[in-house]
Amino acid sequence: MKKLLSIVLVAVMVLALGCTAFADGTEITYWSMWNEGEPQATVIAEAAEAYEAETGVHVNIEWKGRDINTLLSAALESGEDFDLFDDDYTRIGQVYAPYTYDLTEMAEAAGYEGYACFNNQAIAWAGYLNSLPEQPNVGGVFYDKAAFETAGIEAAPATWAEFLDACAKLKDAGIDPLAQDDAYCNFTFYYHLVRYLGEDGIAELRENGGWADNEKAVQAVQDLIDLVNAGYLAEGAPDAYPSSQNKIGLGLAAMVVCADYVTAEVNANTGTEVDWGMFNYPTVEGGASADAYMGANSLAIPSYSEHAQEAFDFALFLTTGEWGQKLADDCHQIPADPTNECTSLPGAVETLLAAEKPMSWCGELNTHPAWQTMRDMFVEMFEGKYESGAEFCAAMDALYE
Amino acid sequence: MKKNRTLIFLFMAPTVICLLLMYVYPVLRTVAMSFFRVESVTADMGLWRFNGVDNYVKIFHNSGFIISLRNFLAIWIVGGVITLALSLLIAVILTSKIRFQGFFRAAIYLPNVISAVALATMWVQYIFNYDYGLLNQLVTFLGFDKVRWLGTDAKLWAMIAAFIYGSIGYYMLIYISGIEGIPTDLYEAATIDGASKGKQFFRITLPLLKGIIKTTITFWTINAATFYLWSKLFSPVQTEGSTIVPVIYLYDTVFGGKGVVERDAGAGAAVGVVLTLIIIAVYIVTDKLLKSSDLEY
Repeated sequence: MKKLLSIVLVAVMVLALGCTAFADGTEITYWSMWNEGEPQATVIAEAAEAYEAETGVHVNIEWKGRDINTLLSAALESGEDFDLFDDDYTRIGQVYAPYTYDLTEMAEAAGYEGYACFNNQAIAWAGYLNSLPEQPNVGGVFYDKAAFETAGIEAAPATWAEFLDACAKLKDAGIDPLAQDDAYCNFTFYYHLVRYLGEDGIAELRENGGWADNEKAVQAVQDLIDLVNAGYLAEGAPDAYPSSQNKIGLGLAAMVVCADYVTAEVNANTGTEVDWGMFNYPTVEGGASADAYMGANSLAIPSYSEHAQEAFDFALFLTTGEWGQKLADDCHQIPADPTNECTSLPGAVETLLAAEKPMSWCGELNTHPAWQTMRDMFVEMFEGKYESGAEFCAAMDALYE
Repeated sequence: MKKNRTLIFLFMAPTVICLLLMYVYPVLRTVAMSFFRVESVTADMGLWRFNGVDNYVKIFHNSGFIISLRNFLAIWIVGGVITLALSLLIAVILTSKIRFQGFFRAAIYLPNVISAVALATMWVQYIFNYDYGLLNQLVTFLGFDKVRWLGTDAKLWAMIAAFIYGSIGYYMLIYISGIEGIPTDLYEAATIDGASKGKQFFRITLPLLKGIIKTTITFWTINAATFYLWSKLFSPVQTEGSTIVPVIYLYDTVFGGKGVVERDAGAGAAVGVVLTLIIIAVYIVTDKLLKSSDLEY
């Protein structure tokens, strides 16, 4: 018995020594917004192994999932021990900014350029570069190229008139033109409103009301009501997410207004590989803006991290070059490194590079006290419950009383 | 035996300390926070700015919170009446010596064993689906037009129906345990006296289950007030007015939502306080209406 106990104790000591030796090497802790088993997580885990083999720095990954935003504030405020995290870049730029590392010097030293639209926005919010995009997103109209070919549409529509023309051709070809899920009704509505008023114009309406007196607002809503009345929405739309967008994968609908992740979602949900195309949301005559929605899940480093350089190096290792390409290919996403190729959505990188100011996700309306009622009204409008733009805008004004 | 006060104190201390730290302190902090402008839920108290009842004014002027209260009332009252009445009815039937009792008990309780995520997915993606859903197949078979079960008008009721389906088994078991505790000789005596099954239910079963009914109402109120998962699953991308409930509103207020970075832990705390007051009020009213009697099972 004593011998057995001695052997166990020796084994424990050897293990402890081994662990101590391991701890002597540098280790960084990465709080990830992905869940183990997701394509992104698989690539990240492989990249971490490759990074360790190359540099000797061990990356300890903790998979926190999408609810990481409920943990980060408290963790950063209390100085919790981690060196790298990812989340929506709007939150990193605005909410976590006081606790994030200034990456400017390290980025310059590494020759990092990235996308100007995200870098400029991050600097505008935080006062310095505090995040590196890991999964850039771009909004617009995503379509099935095969459906366009069947309908004889040769060029992607650039204006609202061309868009309606494309809808008519698709309908004639027996394909429902536009998929629309309830979850994204606010996004489509906002996009169209931005075309007429720009985000500054929407901000003014948000503050002071006067929707019914604003001809452009009335016209924007009327356009959408006409779209619904013309029967250009997919059958059953606005449907419960993701039923309507899935119809593109099933060959029943042709287009959807969303961000680029819709392509991977539809492919995964329907088990198909749609040949996706994308174009910027159509412009309108006398409109105020042609901006596109842009967002990103980005990587950032806590300001108090003792291994900021190692964390930055790993972030760069993951998002650029070989691993950045693998991340884009395996996860069907836009590459975080603009020098890489976007295999899932040709043209997306160029769109992001050309953009200066990203459009927000309903940012000028979603903090209004009556936002929930507005959101329901947008869905109701797509359900056909409003006769005219004037009626809808009058109902919007009533929310200000 | 002489009381050893030190020993009593020592035995009680761990529990009392845990209770103070993990229950009383968070409750007091939340109540205090509801009167301050606080951005982050873990912000240092030095950063709190007193703003009186502004947080309460803010939430009661926000359409999201008002709609969430309305939805909560619908879930609590309509869902509660249907769930508790059906559970009681099924419990009475299953304790009346029918055949295959065990099978029916298991079958009705089964949804409680299945994950709520799987259940909600089944309802949203299969039963309520517009194109190939079970209900619309039935509707078209009967010669009617398809119905948008998850449209803005119907989504709340669709969610409540699904939630009721998932809840009945739990309350049924509670009622069954209560009914089985009632002595059978009461029913035998009533049968000899010529009382019908209906009279036996209203004169014996129901009065003797008063305590159990009070408990289930309290349980249902807590379930309705903390209703979260089903709402999230019926609106997976972002919060919708048709399915928003107070806890979802609280979550969005404290942590922000899709495209929303604004956070207000003070207003979130005010929502928590209002919810707690609602539950306390319901308990007091229930307690007054259903007075305890000496004979209960």
